[in-house]
Amino acid sequence: MIYLDNAATSWPKPPGVVRAVSAALIRCAGNPGRTSHRAAMDGAALIQECRERLAQLFGIANPLRVCFAFNATDALNLAIKGMLSPGDHAICSSMEHNSVWRPLTALAERGVEFSVAEAPPSGIVDVASVERLLRPNTRLIVMIHASNVNGAIQPVAAIGQLARARGIALLVDAAQSAGAIPIDVEAMKIDLLAFPGHKGLLGPQGTGGLYVSERVNPRPLKEGGTGSESNSPLQPSYYPDRLESGTLNLPGIAGLNESVRYLMKKGLAQIARSEAALIERLLTGLASLDRVTIYGPPPGLPRASVVSFNIRSMDPVWVATELERVASIACRPGWHCAALAHRTQGTQETGTVRFSPGPFTRMAEIETALGAVAELARKA
Amino acid sequence: MARQLAVFASLNQVALLKRALYREGVYVEMVRTPRCYSSTGCSFALRCQTAELPLLDRICRQWKIEPGGIFEEPEKSETPPDLPFIEDE
Repeated sequence: MIYLDNAATSWPKPPGVVRAVSAALIRCAGNPGRTSHRAAMDGAALIQECRERLAQLFGIANPLRVCFAFNATDALNLAIKGMLSPGDHAICSSMEHNSVWRPLTALAERGVEFSVAEAPPSGIVDVASVERLLRPNTRLIVMIHASNVNGAIQPVAAIGQLARARGIALLVDAAQSAGAIPIDVEAMKIDLLAFPGHKGLLGPQGTGGLYVSERVNPRPLKEGGTGSESNSPLQPSYYPDRLESGTLNLPGIAGLNESVRYLMKKGLAQIARSEAALIERLLTGLASLDRVTIYGPPPGLPRASVVSFNIRSMDPVWVATELERVASIACRPGWHCAALAHRTQGTQETGTVRFSPGPFTRMAEIETALGAVAELARKA
Repeated sequence: MARQLAVFASLNQVALLKRALYREGVYVEMVRTPRCYSSTGCSFALRCQTAELPLLDRICRQWKIEPGGIFEEPEKSETPPDLPFIEDE
């Protein structure tokens, strides 16, 4: 299989991740934070180790502000619904994933307003377009860091400057950037960072997290057992307990711990260089084909490891099915749970085929994929 | 030598403090707080030597974590020690 669907979930995982998950299942019996026997304490120590690694990766000063979630959608819902109340206003971009658009739409039915900063078809939001939408009651700016549809990278640092100057919280959806693009929450003035463990961080599914800066204090989405102050009916106010009710995915976090260790040892810069070379070859290869349209930022601008394209008059679903049939290529067609982004780039009627190489994708696989696309394009 | 139990509300706080102390060369035990020392129910504590308390205090201030209390433990304790689970950095 030629796996070009890392934007959905990364595969393969680094060596050691499976071992780490298995080891946790074997060694770390029990529920960390609920008891003090050796097995549970081992699990607790592992969870803390992972928190500290993630904090180091994202430039977070206090690891206790890293709250584990089950994926980026979970983290985004925690942040959006925790930060906004009736009467508040939020701003997002026209490139957001449904995991931002849907919670905001749901909150709009309960008295929260939101505005959409329109991006041009290339997908990169202009900071001025965000600024124009600011209101006295704007409480939150939500920004996708890198588009899961066309790889466009938003000017998060500049938006962070704007938000911080106005006393507005910035929530960044790092679903496609965590582990692939350097993120420093202090330098970029990010107040809330939502990230999945299973994409660029190369961990198992069922993992993710939300960084919460000390400048904000979202309401919990759920209250429940935290293993702390059990005699109190009140959810703890301190982090991460405030946002971590219930049993964590300890085996998943064990795998995430190992994958982040691998990433930091290998170096994000090296991974970014490798993926950039793959994307550049993909873009030049696709651009040379008649009847193929590529979407997203123009050549020369940085892009996440995501390329969307269409073959003229061909259903993207059919194209993806054929690519798997003839060349064992795994990719994703359709609307990628991002209707706003497809509307922005003008593909709301058709969707697109999406290729998303990862750290373990080889150049030879890109050449095979290009050959397969060329063969299909000849039939268009 | 007298042992102290520094009680904290959250296991997460205790886990952070334990690792921070370990990086300073001090190994402490992480234990479930005995009921007699816990007014809120379900908390965790660090068992350390009296001489280690100033370092613990410094680290608590660094991380803005307040102990729920520090209690001198009787000489004999039936709680078995735990062992570190910290990978080489």
